Parts: sequence; C-alpha cells; structure tokens
Amino acid sequence: MSDLDGLSPAETLDGASTVEVRTSASAALIPTIRAVASDLAARADFDLDAISDLRMAVDEACATLVDVAAPSSTLQCTFLVQSERIEVHAQVRAGHPDAVVSTDTFGWRVLQTLADDVTVHHEPGAGGDGPTVGIRLDKRSGDLPR
Amino acid sequence: MAEPAPLGSEAPAAEAAGDFLDTAITRPRPGAAVLGVQGEVDTLTATLFADAVAELVDGPEPTLVVDLTGVTFLASSGLAVLIQGAHRAEKRNARLRLVVTTRAVRRPLEITGTDQLFDMHSDVHDAIGGDD
Repeated sequence: MSDLDGLSPAETLDGASTVEVRTSASAALIPTIRAVASDLAARADFDLDAISDLRMAVDEACATLVDVAAPSSTLQCTFLVQSERIEVHAQVRAGHPDAVVSTDTFGWRVLQTLADDVTVHHEPGAGGDGPTVGIRLDKRSGDLPR
Repeated sequence: MAEPAPLGSEAPAAEAAGDFLDTAITRPRPGAAVLGVQGEVDTLTATLFADAVAELVDGPEPTLVVDLTGVTFLASSGLAVLIQGAHRAEKRNARLRLVVTTRAVRRPLEITGTDQLFDMHSDVHDAIGGDD
C-alpha cells in the first residue's frame, strides 16, 4: 500500500487529529463514510453550510473512486482535522491499469464547488497491482465569501 | 473467518435502493402531479429517483411538483437527475416546481446554482397552487 504522504498520526501538525476509515470499496458503504465526515465537521464547529458541503464532497469523492475500484478492494478515507479546516484523502486500488478519475464530469465540477481545494492523484501500481487512485480535498470551517 | 457481507453487496444497487428511497406520485388536484420523495438520493438510489422523475415529467399534468421535504441527502447524482427532469419538462413547456424545506436539499441546489432551473416552494400547497 502506498502511504498518504506522511499522514501517520505521529507526523501530523500540532493541534491536528487524524481519523481513518476503511471500508469495502462499495457504494453501499459510502453513507457511513459521509456520516463520519459530517460528524467530524460538526465537532470541529464547522458552520451548517460547511458541514453540508463536506458531507456532499466526501460522498462525491468516494463515489468517484468506488467507480474505478478493483473488485473486493478497499476504500481508504483519512480525515485530518485541524483548527478551522478538514483535509480528506480518499483512495482505492483501481481495477484497470489505465484507470483514471475523469475531471470533466458534472460530479467533478460539483466537487470543485463544494471543496476549497481538490486534487486527484494517480500512482502506478507495483507488480501485478492496479494503480492507486486518490482524491484529496480541503474544506474550511466557514465564513468564506462566495 | 466468514465476515458478514457489507450491506447491499449481494444485491444489485437497484434492488437495494428501494430500502433507502421511497417515491410516490400523487395527483392532489386535476392538472397537478406531485412526486413525493423520502430518503437519501445518492449514487445508490439515483436510478430509482431518475425513473420516478421521468414518470412525473412524462405524465400529462401541466403542473409538475417534486416534493423533496423528506430527502435527507442530495448528491450530485441526484442534482443531475433533477437537471435532466427540468430539461425534459422544458421540452413540453413546463417548469418543474420543487418543494424544499431542509438545508440538506437547499444547500446543494444553491451552491451549484441548480436552483435557478426550478420554481422553488416551501410547501406543497403553495407549489400546486395556480395553473401552469
């Protein structure tokens, strides 16, 4: 498994806490992940619109990844909770060697609207494994002029 | 060790979807049809939602209402269904009316600008009022 760019709990920034959720890469489990996102945002004093946005953004990111995930693979979703923002990294092992997350879809545009920052990562798989595909998004707690 | 199967993993998504989304079309007065929706509209349930919206929009009534009061989550896949419905209604010179009372529905519609495609109402009686 590739790491998440040094996001192990011991290495996180001061004042941050990390929550990691791993599920089967199944659309049926996304409601659980978005519930975690919503709960973390509420506890971090996000405003109500920002909570709604994060819940929807996490749902969108996970749905996008589950679409390209290999059968019986794992969806890994890490939440880095900091003061006034939450960073989310979601990733799966893709089912096809050339799997990509397409960024010219309606869903991706919605994701860009919901998150303050969002990027997609592709890493080639080692050995016989498919590539790792990940989405990283950043959401601030609120008070942003829109 | 046998692990319990994740919810829905054995059933096709469309089959599992009925557990999480309820839809029903009612006709509270001649010329008006209301699609009532309850549950979460996401990638699991979007197809079911799309079928229900298509049935509403393809019906004969001039006044078309989607009552989203009971919707607790609306993903982009659900927004896409609503947008398709708006376009389909437009082709027959109708405009979809949405009943929206909760943040879970209002926020996604507003932040994406999708609300501009619909007549927005805060209750069903208001939405079915008037002709056309």
